[in-house]
Amino acid sequence: MANDVRPTSLKREGDGLKIEWSDGVATFAAWRHLRAHCPCASCLDERAKPPDPFRVLSEREVGAGPPAPTAMRPVGHYAYQITWNDGHDTGIYPLELLRKLGEPG
Amino acid sequence: MSPGMPPKLSLPGVKHVVAVASGKGGVGKSTVAANLALALHAAGQKVGLMDADIYGPSVPIMFGLGQVNPQATPFPLHKYGVALMSMGFMVDPNQAVIWRGPKVAQAVQAFLGQIPWGELDVLVIDLPPGTGDAQLTLSQSAPLTGAVIVTTPQDVSLIDARKGVRMFQEVRVPVLGVVENMSYFVGDDGKRYDLFRAGGGRKLAAEIGVPLLGELPIDPRVAECGDTGEPMVRKYPDAQVSKAYMALAETVIRETLQRPADGPLPEVAL
Repeated sequence: MANDVRPTSLKREGDGLKIEWSDGVATFAAWRHLRAHCPCASCLDERAKPPDPFRVLSEREVGAGPPAPTAMRPVGHYAYQITWNDGHDTGIYPLELLRKLGEPG
Repeated sequence: MSPGMPPKLSLPGVKHVVAVASGKGGVGKSTVAANLALALHAAGQKVGLMDADIYGPSVPIMFGLGQVNPQATPFPLHKYGVALMSMGFMVDPNQAVIWRGPKVAQAVQAFLGQIPWGELDVLVIDLPPGTGDAQLTLSQSAPLTGAVIVTTPQDVSLIDARKGVRMFQEVRVPVLGVVENMSYFVGDDGKRYDLFRAGGGRKLAAEIGVPLLGELPIDPRVAECGDTGEPMVRKYPDAQVSKAYMALAETVIRETLQRPADGPLPEVAL
């Protein structure tokens, strides 16, 4: 994606996020997919480890149900920060990542 | 809100925010920032200069100012027609500011968002070296029009300048161009000496596809002016280096006008 491509509109559509881009492309990414690819340091670290079969979910995680955002706000000229319903809010998604996660395949 | 995330700031009266940056220390960022601010002022612009170097502020000494009582002084301070803010106004110069990163981010945000800058054409921000807290906070919360990268000619400086450029590209802050400081020295014999090698700034600018905004010659009076509190551009306006600064100011004005800020990213409809 060229560095001057920007989103022109972002909105919730069903269980995901639809983004229209300035180059005419529209992408859709499910919230579950976005949550699973959170780029924050602790999630990256977590994903780098082998899965822990004994991981205990926190009460908040159990209560949250399927991932959904409670807030999503722009960061500078380059990213969006998502606050999730499980309380996690350290992920800053650069535009390139949002585009990549919304592309089919 | 997570502690790591600065709030989005808007500076309603400020038309353009220009960061003066470099990956490396000691290339003369503060000197360039101070003289650029004065050159912009001389070119008829309303100018502010914000010193984002919290650990090692240089704006006070360069403008002949010192510590003031922050309770009794309305900020920003004004000198030579430029609105100024610096950590050095609030801390004894002999005292070290020993802070972890998040405090630096807070101070930078407060300088930007809580100081009544008023109506300005350009707010110049003198950044500390590196690609850390101050730079990230600015990129995330300030409406930056662009960044000016300062380097010196030799490769050891270019390596770090390249990192600075890379950071601005990642956070999508346009790089307005490269300024080569300490470019050359003209001796009494009128001959040009390339003390720190030649062509580094041009090379970097070509590599990242931005203009070379200027080559600033070495003049011992620049250092003298910095230490005595009256920047070169003001004290010796006819010197060659001052003329180079005036040309730089004109180029920066042109570049900022050419790049009307993209405007903020759209909000999300959830």
